Amino acid sequence: MSDPIAVLERALERERRARKAAEGLLEEKSRELFTANQDLRALAGTLEQQVEERTRELALARDEAVSASRAKSQFLANMSHELRTPLNAIIGYSEMLREDAIDAGDEALSTDLLRIHSAGKHLLSLINDVLDLSKIEAGQMDVFLESVPVGPLLADVVSTIRPVVEKNGNTLELVAEGELGTAHVDVTKVRQTLFNLLSNAGKFTSNGRVTLTAGREREGDRDTLVLTVRDTGIGMTPEQMENLFVPFKQADASTSRRYGGTGLGLAICEHFCRMLGGAIVAHSEPGVGSTFSVRLPARQPRAEHPSGSFERPARPSRGAVVVVDDDANARDLLSRTLAAEGYTVHAAADGEEGLRLAREVRPVAITLDVLMPQLDGWAVLSALRADDSLRDVPVVIVTMVGDRNVALALGATELVSKPVDRERLASIIARHVKAPAEILVVEDDEHSRDLVVRVIEGHGCTAVCAQNGRIALDRLAERQPAAIVLDLMMPELDGFELLERIAVEPALRAIPVIVTTAKTLSREDRGRLEGRVQQILQKGLYSQSDLVKWLERVTVPLAEAP
Amino acid sequence: MKGIVFTEFLEMVEERFSLEVVDGIIERAALPSGGSYTAVGTYPVEEMGRLVGELSAATGAPVPALLHAFGKHLMTRFTQGFPRFFAESTDALGLLERVETVIHVEVKKLYPDAELPSFECTREGPDRIVMVYRSPRRLSDLAAGLIEGCAEHYGETLDVAREDLSGDGQAVRFTITRGGGT
Repeated sequence: MSDPIAVLERALERERRARKAAEGLLEEKSRELFTANQDLRALAGTLEQQVEERTRELALARDEAVSASRAKSQFLANMSHELRTPLNAIIGYSEMLREDAIDAGDEALSTDLLRIHSAGKHLLSLINDVLDLSKIEAGQMDVFLESVPVGPLLADVVSTIRPVVEKNGNTLELVAEGELGTAHVDVTKVRQTLFNLLSNAGKFTSNGRVTLTAGREREGDRDTLVLTVRDTGIGMTPEQMENLFVPFKQADASTSRRYGGTGLGLAICEHFCRMLGGAIVAHSEPGVGSTFSVRLPARQPRAEHPSGSFERPARPSRGAVVVVDDDANARDLLSRTLAAEGYTVHAAADGEEGLRLAREVRPVAITLDVLMPQLDGWAVLSALRADDSLRDVPVVIVTMVGDRNVALALGATELVSKPVDRERLASIIARHVKAPAEILVVEDDEHSRDLVVRVIEGHGCTAVCAQNGRIALDRLAERQPAAIVLDLMMPELDGFELLERIAVEPALRAIPVIVTTAKTLSREDRGRLEGRVQQILQKGLYSQSDLVKWLERVTVPLAEAP
Repeated sequence: MKGIVFTEFLEMVEERFSLEVVDGIIERAALPSGGSYTAVGTYPVEEMGRLVGELSAATGAPVPALLHAFGKHLMTRFTQGFPRFFAESTDALGLLERVETVIHVEVKKLYPDAELPSFECTREGPDRIVMVYRSPRRLSDLAAGLIEGCAEHYGETLDVAREDLSGDGQAVRFTITRGGGT
């Protein structure tokens, strides 16, 4: 047997050496950890530095991109202005010359002029498409939401596009499914989308049917406006549909030769729908037809016109009109029609009430029913004519029975028979409450100016011209015009600045202003114009009748003013 | 081989036999390390072979039986030192299945230089797994002891059938079946 002490001594010695070995390992591990930690710190430092460097580079790249984008949009805005201004002259003068040619019975010339006019319009639409797409891609396309009644909007779209669709022997139908109500949308974009879809449908369909169906889907909080354009045209194959919404791509190269167009329309429609929070979907079958469905959120923050009030807050009233009719439906219809024309309507259910209202509000016109209990229309008319303050107020007799000559002999201005043709009524009233008025035209481009002047003079008004804002201010100091037609981009004092000067002059503030511009208006621009101008007409896009309508409207109340 | 195997082995010999036996086998084995082991060190696997051989010579017990007993002892120490791994499984087969895929992965994180045997497992039914031990060290007896220790920890009875696939003990298949006597 071994010596127990020696065994213990050896065991102790082994433990001591093991401990030392363990301590050595521990120290080694500690050193490794320390080094690893230092490496990590160094790495973290480098990484932070790299991140900072990258951030700087990115910020620089972003600034460069932003300024490049600004330069691009400025260039586009200038381009649009430069291109649209001469086009405006081409389109306007060809339209005007054509009317002259038609009046002169020169059919050949009128046809040629129509070609120039159409070509100009076409060129303009191509330019607009390219500009729209550039703006969309640069993120510069703004959305202007407003509440509009859907029915009239669609009716307007359909009546505008009808000639285009019917050209190929097609029929065009508008189908409203249920109550359409009012929608909160960007009117311009909705119109443009529908114009595009409908003109496409007309283009690819001949001797067929094009239908615009409108409906409203309400589901919980969601309120969706669904607009569907359906045609019975040539349709598309699945392959052709693949690139449907891709810019610059048409079904195939032969399409552009045969049907024209830039291939941008649908791409723009699709962008617009998305910008408005909606979508567009296409279905098609070759030889059967195509269907394009647009779904847009139709947020409806307010109820429709409260009954009894027909005032439009958006634009100044053209003056008061008193409507006298004992039939509630007829009264309502007349009131709505006239309110839509911009008059403040005061309705009376009988002759006594009508007289009282007329004396109170001093209307610019009165519509009068004949067959009423108690005081009938003729009695009211003679009472009006006997009243000094109301003697000159135009009175339109609106009646189911009645002889125009009798009415005129009794002092009526005009007679309109029921059921009332609303447009006729509106134009009669507009005509009779109008007096020659002086219109100030502020425009630097000579051609554009002459064009406007001729429209104004053709409408029986006189025009005073100013080449820029400064000259306009001089003219305004001399005499107050009934209205101002204003260009925006001008040397010296531009349209925006002129509006600012006018806004601070109490005597000038109330003068109605219409803007005609070739400038693509930004949100900011619109903000500066808001509340200061009644209407904005895009040069080249508006027709003379738009300007005429406005003139009819604005020359009325001012001419009536004492 | 990791130092913990040596320190645990010598502790077991001291517990089961005596410090004298420990001293004797170390002296006779004439080890390069001198028999000074620390759990965190790494030592040549041959030293373990010599120690077990000397223990067999000193006690008369065959080497496989000694390795088996050591395997059981080692498993007891594992359950004390690393209870987390054992809590994560509810039974012995579950734990054995996780040796390769979970436990050895964790060991490698702490000791990247550790040379571990592989335990490839195949589940053959709710109560049966096939586990293939592979190692050039040919310590399948130790593995068998570990398996038994594991069963004891979970209070289970496992039927372990063993088949030498390579003929030299480098690859051994254990077919492990849970018995009804739990």
